[in-house]
Amino acid sequence: MGALAEILFGGLFQGSLYAMMAVGLALVWTTIGVFNFSHGVFMMLGAYLAWQLVAFGLHPAIAFPLAILATAGVGWLLQATVVRPLIGRANLVLVVVITTLAAGSLIENGVLTIWGPRSKQLPPLLAGNTMIGSIGVSLHQIAIIVVTPLILWALWMFLTRTRIGLALRAVAQNEDASQLVGLNVTALYGLAFAIAAALACIAGIFMGGYRFMSPVMGADPLLKALIVVVFGGISSISGPIFAAYLIGFFEAACSYYFGLYWTPALLFAVLILTLMVRPEGIFTSRGRGLA
Amino acid sequence: MPILSVEGVTAGYGRVTVLNDVSLEAGRHGNVGFFGPNGHGKTTLLRVISGLLKPRSGRIFFDGEDITARSARAIVGTGLIHVPQGNRLFPDLTIADCMALGAYSARARPHEAENREKVIELFPKLAERWRQRVRTLSGGERQMVSIGTALMSHPRLLILDEPTLGLAPKIKDELCASVLDISKGGVPLIVVEQDIEFLLELSSQLYLINHGTVATEIKPGESIAHSEIMSMYFGH
Ligand SMILES: Nc1ncnc2c1ncn2[C@@H]1O[C@H](COP(=O)(O)OP(=O)(O)OP(=O)(O)O)[C@@H](O)[C@H]1O
Ligand SMILES: [Mg+2]
Repeated sequence: MGALAEILFGGLFQGSLYAMMAVGLALVWTTIGVFNFSHGVFMMLGAYLAWQLVAFGLHPAIAFPLAILATAGVGWLLQATVVRPLIGRANLVLVVVITTLAAGSLIENGVLTIWGPRSKQLPPLLAGNTMIGSIGVSLHQIAIIVVTPLILWALWMFLTRTRIGLALRAVAQNEDASQLVGLNVTALYGLAFAIAAALACIAGIFMGGYRFMSPVMGADPLLKALIVVVFGGISSISGPIFAAYLIGFFEAACSYYFGLYWTPALLFAVLILTLMVRPEGIFTSRGRGLA
Repeated sequence: MPILSVEGVTAGYGRVTVLNDVSLEAGRHGNVGFFGPNGHGKTTLLRVISGLLKPRSGRIFFDGEDITARSARAIVGTGLIHVPQGNRLFPDLTIADCMALGAYSARARPHEAENREKVIELFPKLAERWRQRVRTLSGGERQMVSIGTALMSHPRLLILDEPTLGLAPKIKDELCASVLDISKGGVPLIVVEQDIEFLLELSSQLYLINHGTVATEIKPGESIAHSEIMSMYFGH
């Protein structure tokens, strides 16, 4: 019973973080057809911006939304500078991997210069701990588990029920036809990047609330998000959400039975097996489309 | 004043020149047909007119205004609507979604309900499949969605690129009849077609596009025999 509870809780918690990161990556892939390798850096930057605003004395309820907006702005800016000018190039996917990596490393070093290497921590969403059965958990973790599905649900509703959401889904499917109905494709690209950055910032705030922050804190979540989208398929956003939780549970089970040490190796073994059976999962543009 | 005039347009992709000094006009009344061999630049010409491809030189006027430098989005905003070749519009959207997208521009939005009724009247089949994804529709139905989406954009000039391409004879006849209906409704058309019979029935003015130039122009009033057109196609 204790094992099940621990795996369930750990899986839900990790899955939430992964889903939050992976959905942004998938959103950018489906709308623009590029991989944003600065996605992890958005997460880190978001956490630092939130930390700075809290350090200025703002209440987290004000500081966090402001940080999310600011990170969204950075996402928009990055898109306008290192992605948009390259659209139309034959080897776009590869070029953008390089430009976003470069921009990401620039931001990473900027953060290091401004805030220094000393570890920082954000206030948790909810302070305190509680017991679930026999396991001790923090209220912050419970808040993450509850809030994440709400945010993903809101994103889903935005994409499927609103006019702008419809436009985003249309651009994801056919850019020329989107222009021919009068959509502002550049603005929609910017919006996709901004939303992805906002989601990454939320993930950063989640993470900064239970772990020490550092300028490289985004690297591992980016890697995990990539694994998630490879598992889940990148042609929609529901696939990665599903895969994020699946991987969360897989990791929780592995850590419980084999130990933390073996988990990454086992995860990669499963990843490689998946790709052998379903090779179309990775880096192919076999149709894009949101929702 | 013609509703559309193309003046000395040269355009292409990368280093390849596809259109070479193309000039033509479309009047306010009656339709214009383009025909010509495959791969000789008809679609490219339409892409230049609707702003998807910028010409290297030359100018395009719509209703007297120079639209050469405008974005595709701005051109949609003037009421010049282009239905692209092929019917791979938005495979994972429903018909309802496509119609909503057609009415996205500020110009078309106020007319959304009225245009939707027109589309349903023209293509009753679409109403039956309103919530179905485009990828699950037949080729003919998808072409109806493409044209319906364009009608939702409240066109002042409608450009159709091979609307009957790859359709079975019966469906094709139905679609041709619908296109004639649209024309009778008062929207002038520019139509690219391989089916010369249909094009002759529809248009008062024809242009033969060959090797990226206007090879022959057939003006209103000049009657022309099918055999003459065939000989233009295949060379004299
Ligand atoms: N995106 C593109 N990039 C490079 N070349 C292109 C592109 N689109 C078309 N072309 C080339 O331009 C030329 C003209 O093509 P276009 O599609 O305009 O011809 P078309 O007259 O419409 O033919 P069809 O009757 O087959 O539709 C062709 O040689 C084609 O290969
Ligand atoms: Mg063509």
